[in-house]
Amino acid sequence: MQTSDHMKWLRLAIGAVVMLALPQLVTSSFAIDIFIRILLFSFIGVAWNLMGGYAKQLSLGHAAYFGLGAYTSTIMQVNYGISPWIGMIAGGVVAMLASLPIGWLCFRLRGPYFTIATIATAQVLMLIFLKFRDFAWGAEGTTIPNLGSAPLMMQFEEKSSYYYVVLGLLVVGLWITHRIEQSWIGYYLVAIGEDEDAAEAIGVNAPKVKRDIYMISAFLTALAGTFYTQYIYFIDPATAFSFNVSIEAALVSIVGGIGTLWGPVMGTVLLETTSALLQSWLGSSVGGIQLTVYSLILMAVILWRPTGLIGFATDVYHRYVRRKPARA
Amino acid sequence: MWETLAQAVINGLLIGGIYALVSIGVTLIFGVVKIVNFAQGEFVMIGMYISFFLATQFGVDPLVSLVISMPVLFIAGVLIQHFLIRRVLGPNDMPQIFLTFALSLLLLNLALMLFSANYRTVHTSYSDEAWHIGGLYIPVAKLIAFAVAMALSGLLWVFLHTTDLGRAMRAASQNRDVAMLMGINPNRVFAVAFGTALALAGAAGSLLMPFYSAYPFVGQVFVLMAFVAVVMGTLGNVMGALVASLMMGVAESLGIQFVGADSGLIVVFALLLLTLAFRPSGLGARRGR
Repeated sequence: MQTSDHMKWLRLAIGAVVMLALPQLVTSSFAIDIFIRILLFSFIGVAWNLMGGYAKQLSLGHAAYFGLGAYTSTIMQVNYGISPWIGMIAGGVVAMLASLPIGWLCFRLRGPYFTIATIATAQVLMLIFLKFRDFAWGAEGTTIPNLGSAPLMMQFEEKSSYYYVVLGLLVVGLWITHRIEQSWIGYYLVAIGEDEDAAEAIGVNAPKVKRDIYMISAFLTALAGTFYTQYIYFIDPATAFSFNVSIEAALVSIVGGIGTLWGPVMGTVLLETTSALLQSWLGSSVGGIQLTVYSLILMAVILWRPTGLIGFATDVYHRYVRRKPARA
Repeated sequence: MWETLAQAVINGLLIGGIYALVSIGVTLIFGVVKIVNFAQGEFVMIGMYISFFLATQFGVDPLVSLVISMPVLFIAGVLIQHFLIRRVLGPNDMPQIFLTFALSLLLLNLALMLFSANYRTVHTSYSDEAWHIGGLYIPVAKLIAFAVAMALSGLLWVFLHTTDLGRAMRAASQNRDVAMLMGINPNRVFAVAFGTALALAGAAGSLLMPFYSAYPFVGQVFVLMAFVAVVMGTLGNVMGALVASLMMGVAESLGIQFVGADSGLIVVFALLLLTLAFRPSGLGARRGR
């Protein structure tokens, strides 16, 4: 398989060059903003997909970790002047630690009731931060002091710099997913996702595997939270723990292809592009149109293409370009 | 002190009756069709808008519009079961969870587009009326809503326990495979269960309209309560859901009275998390089944 390996590296190299050159070629700040959103939600989707996609633990509460990451780094920066680069890692660690008790509670339930429990935990955190007036600014939130160009404080004058930061995050997320896919853990996760009881019967320590992957997923999601707060220079409980973050994390993965490496990226490209087009056609005046369209896309995928865009693309490829080798 | 406490309990019980209609629907669908309907709250919202438009366009009293909202939502439920839910029934959770979740998002955001986020209210002759018994204050609209909710729950109980179709639904709920071997047509039973659940949600919406505002997100409040009540009352258990809903109403009301106006939800979520931590199979369940 020497040639296909070469092809793979070649494709990756071309992809890398295109992604690195993109903000230099397209300089409109509207476009770069959309690219950043696509990369950010791809990254959140990748983090969700580790647990939701491979192990089929369908969380709708990842905003909990997004918010914890955002608040940890912001509190460290605004109250103690610590760089968000350090705060980002600290936020990840806080999210990892928080995922232990949350997981302990939620993993007692399976299927849809696991999903409901995760929604509840994110809501509880939001309510706690709404009440935390002395420590975390309560419902009004706070703006991040703008230092102009301060790369060490994760503040940049050029939008393209933010682009490279979030591109870096996405690459890390994809690399981790790829490594997990190739390892025993990846197979354990898929086995748990297919049938947890059967997986345990053949010796998979399901509670431990689920706990570990939940920690990794929470850690990565928290990094996205820090980045987003730095990017918009503002934090409040409603944006940091927004249910929409939880929804979009799951949606991009399912639409793109649940439990696949590139699924969340494909899903985000489709959903965010659709959303940007809708906004430029209709303006942002029509409330609800974005999620109306998202939910229709989600229903269509579930009813007609449960394998998502990746599955669709593979089918088309095998039908028209290269026939699938006949099954033995 | 005792009067405040009694008043909080009464307020909680009265709104708990509405929670019960929503929870019974969720638990009925879960028991019979084995899926969780994330969109249940949106059908409460639709019930409210139906009553709102009948009241403002044709002057129909919201309580009378029950006889329209319930059948409309029953038919909607049968159609949704037939054309959507039936296609995703199977061992795989993902499509089931996200199909009803997508339905919830769709209905909510369609309502936002069509009706805007404005709060809509209907003022009836009894909206402001209240009885004063001792030192207690009992709003008539809420009392009627509670009474009708309990009557509908009672009717459902009679239906489930005395009719062939009701028995078939309970059989399907206890063991679907054996029920099918006994000659029960699952599609018919599922459609009736889904339709009944949505009709109850519609009834909840109509009953709320004299004293509660309709807005696109209104269903979210009720569906969260229902999910918690259904977990506490043991999944799939209609009686458990009813009792747990009344308890939730009281707990929320006590939270608002003694902890603070915006703490109702915290109390509810805390109850959910405590239930999960200590009695994950419901309060009424026997230990170590």
